[in-house]
Amino acid sequence: MKQAKKIWLTAGVCAAMFALAWFAWRLPFFEFSEEYSAEQVGSFLSLKYLKNLLPLILILLLSSLGILICIGVRKRIIRKDPAFGRFFEARTGSGGKKVPGQRKLGFMTVRWAAMLGASFLMIFGGTALNLRFAEVSLPIFSCPVNTEQMTESSCYYLAHLNDLFELPLKDILLFFGTTIGFALLLGRVICGFLCPMGLLQDVVHGIRQKARVEGVAMTDKMYAALTPVKWMMVFLLLGLSFLGGNFCNFCPLVAVSPILAGIQTSLYFSGFFMIFALIGSFFKRRFFCLICPLGVLLGLLHRITPFRIKKDCTACTECGACYEACPMGIKQIYTEREKTDVTDMNCILCGECIRKCPEDNALAMTFAGKKIYTASRKQVMSGYHAEGRKQDRRRGGSV
Amino acid sequence: MNTQTVSPREQRQKDRFISKASQTAAKYLRRMEELSGAPESMVPFFRVLRDIYVDGKDVSREDGVKTVGTYCVMAPHELIYAAGAIPVKLCSGSYTAFSIGDDLAPRDACPLVKAVAGFQQIGVMPLYDNCALMVLPITCDCKKKLAGYLAERCEVCTLQIPVSKEDEDIEQYVRELYQFLGVLEETTGNRVTYDSLADAMKKTGYAQFELSRFLRLKKSLPYLLRGTHIMAMMNAASYMPADEWGRQLHLVNRELEQRISRNETVTRRQLPRILLTGSPIIFPNIKIPLLIEEMCGILAADETCMGERGMSDPVVPVDQSFDGLMRSLAIRATRPCSCPTFADNRQRIFRLKQMIRDYQIEGVIYHVLRGCLVYDFEYRQIEEALGELGIPVIRLESDYNEEDVEQLRIRIEAFIELIKLKKPPEVRRTERDYYG
Ligand code: SF4
Ligand code: SF4
Ligand code: SF4
Ligand code: SF4
Repeated sequence: MKQAKKIWLTAGVCAAMFALAWFAWRLPFFEFSEEYSAEQVGSFLSLKYLKNLLPLILILLLSSLGILICIGVRKRIIRKDPAFGRFFEARTGSGGKKVPGQRKLGFMTVRWAAMLGASFLMIFGGTALNLRFAEVSLPIFSCPVNTEQMTESSCYYLAHLNDLFELPLKDILLFFGTTIGFALLLGRVICGFLCPMGLLQDVVHGIRQKARVEGVAMTDKMYAALTPVKWMMVFLLLGLSFLGGNFCNFCPLVAVSPILAGIQTSLYFSGFFMIFALIGSFFKRRFFCLICPLGVLLGLLHRITPFRIKKDCTACTECGACYEACPMGIKQIYTEREKTDVTDMNCILCGECIRKCPEDNALAMTFAGKKIYTASRKQVMSGYHAEGRKQDRRRGGSV
Repeated sequence: MNTQTVSPREQRQKDRFISKASQTAAKYLRRMEELSGAPESMVPFFRVLRDIYVDGKDVSREDGVKTVGTYCVMAPHELIYAAGAIPVKLCSGSYTAFSIGDDLAPRDACPLVKAVAGFQQIGVMPLYDNCALMVLPITCDCKKKLAGYLAERCEVCTLQIPVSKEDEDIEQYVRELYQFLGVLEETTGNRVTYDSLADAMKKTGYAQFELSRFLRLKKSLPYLLRGTHIMAMMNAASYMPADEWGRQLHLVNRELEQRISRNETVTRRQLPRILLTGSPIIFPNIKIPLLIEEMCGILAADETCMGERGMSDPVVPVDQSFDGLMRSLAIRATRPCSCPTFADNRQRIFRLKQMIRDYQIEGVIYHVLRGCLVYDFEYRQIEEALGELGIPVIRLESDYNEEDVEQLRIRIEAFIELIKLKKPPEVRRTERDYYG
């Protein structure tokens, strides 16, 4: 019975997505009079560049509006709730105090630097720095409709598989060689460290944290409900081109990289999708990654990639901090009690779980067997060190 | 209750109670202090225990600050601080109060509950009588009925503890905590804001930070200090504001660092290293740790809720919003908690295994308070798991009186001998070398 329900659900989602895909290019979000013009803008300060940025600015404005509306709606819900209502002000205001957190510098600094650097290089590498490696295809969501991009992005030909096979053999081999090579070497580290879409989502999440707006806490059931959507996206990415459409028609990423690079880009359904993805990832970190088809494809190799998440099941107290911190909602990282390797296909190797794990050595990220980042209580409580030192000073002064 | 006029007979009964209770407490305090190796900086912790149990004082605090009594580890103290009150842990180990509670509760009820009921009945402990509110997480049937009993005498708030730890259960517990916070606001008349909650979490967080340092030091050098003394420190935390406790612990940590640098330990011998787990050990019912260490064992670690376990799991806020902080509190109160009130509590076995690894444990004493069914239930499981590791374990049942002391002594002594016999000869050789 349950199985039947699942199948119906998947079918329903498929149908809905198909309908969306069908109308994808009929829904203009923002149209320039000329089509994709690849002519280069002279300077990033020129009026033309600003004009080409227009769709992105529009997206950002509409997303902010959407977020504000969502917050407003939720305020109403909280106010009406019997248990939560009396804490309305505490919940919706944002005080000035802070709970001491963790040392700022560390693994996450590296990750942010990598994300910023990679995104910058991918998007502006070609235009601004004249770095071009057109033979290389990275499995990453940085849209190569930006023809000036530093490297190719595999998603284009994955979304146009029918065209791919019309290319010369050398190009096909290069495409598969580099794509699979990078996927094997890096796996979803690409998601955690390089992908511009990942960066974008982490930035909006960061803004929410700073504003102390509460997010949407997803339960395992909600994560499970997204699985059919995810696989449908994979199907759309790989299969739609044979059915006469293609994924790029509604891929949200087209709204970032080309536009930032100064390329005139008309947006169709993609613009709406991007707004949806931004609002989603504001309230739920890496919301788009939960349904990203490219991520799934990278995840398929999760058993053999050299970057791994390892767990010492005895050291773990099942405190659930890792699960709470994991943007991808990977529950077995907290429930696992036997395996030492907990790398999941959805794991983007962001290391958030390790950062929040309070038990020494309970979690670690390894590269080819070597530990590169290990959980420790000391690290989790590092925000209190200042307090301890203050104590020393106070005693020192009074003695 | 206190406002009623007290008949001379009742007054006599009360006086007798006070003198008997403080004598017992003083005796056990003395025995703890006489045990060698207590760091000097531990004195304030003994003083707190003496203030409360021997001198019958209340928790020291500013005027107008209310105290809220809590039981178990599932009621987050952060919320109480956030509402501008001070939490005190009311779980009790008093033999004198137990003897009164014995008539109030059924024979098979657990002594801890009887002792609490006894204190409430006799009404001479300011610690209990001044509480503006008591919070009872419903962790077992005895606690549930205790809540009913106490509610006739003071303000009571119950917390419904989920049976398992599924995501939905956690959501439910978050809601439960919001309701609790509402009750706290009513009790104290203060408003809880983001800032007051953040401040409160900083207080308890600091205490946990010092505790984590303490545990790290303890792990780094075996025989650094005695488990009975750690028990005293942990028990004292029940009656001290968290930040104050943290500050005192800071001094202990400094002293321990010095000890470590001088490689100074409480004993030069390789005493059998024992881990104590099971039902809570609460001052002044401290006879088992005392017996272990008086008979040349070392209480190397404990996995009991009034001991290290109760406080060692830190709160890990992930989301910085108010709701995010509340969630982190709810999660910390349930998920890492290895209390047998949860249906599936296999995580406790892993915790024990880790402690055995961290503290080089050679034997486990499983303590069961008479009538504490949930802990008793888990004995079999743990015995089996420890058997696989080849770690000897005994089950010690005890009650809140001194009648079973002799029997406990014999069993603990035999257990310590057993561990010594099992020790590989090399260890003993090095021991002799030490003195040779
Ligand atoms: S539109 Fe999307 S799928 Fe198509 S090439 Fe651009 S990023 Fe890749
Ligand atoms: S899941 Fe997709 S969008 Fe997210 S980081 Fe990976 S490739 Fe980028
Ligand atoms: S399991 Fe850890 S590394 Fe993987 S996605 Fe979750 S938080 Fe990131
Ligand atoms: S955060 Fe660490 S200790 Fe907590 S459940 Fe995860 S792995 Fe276990």
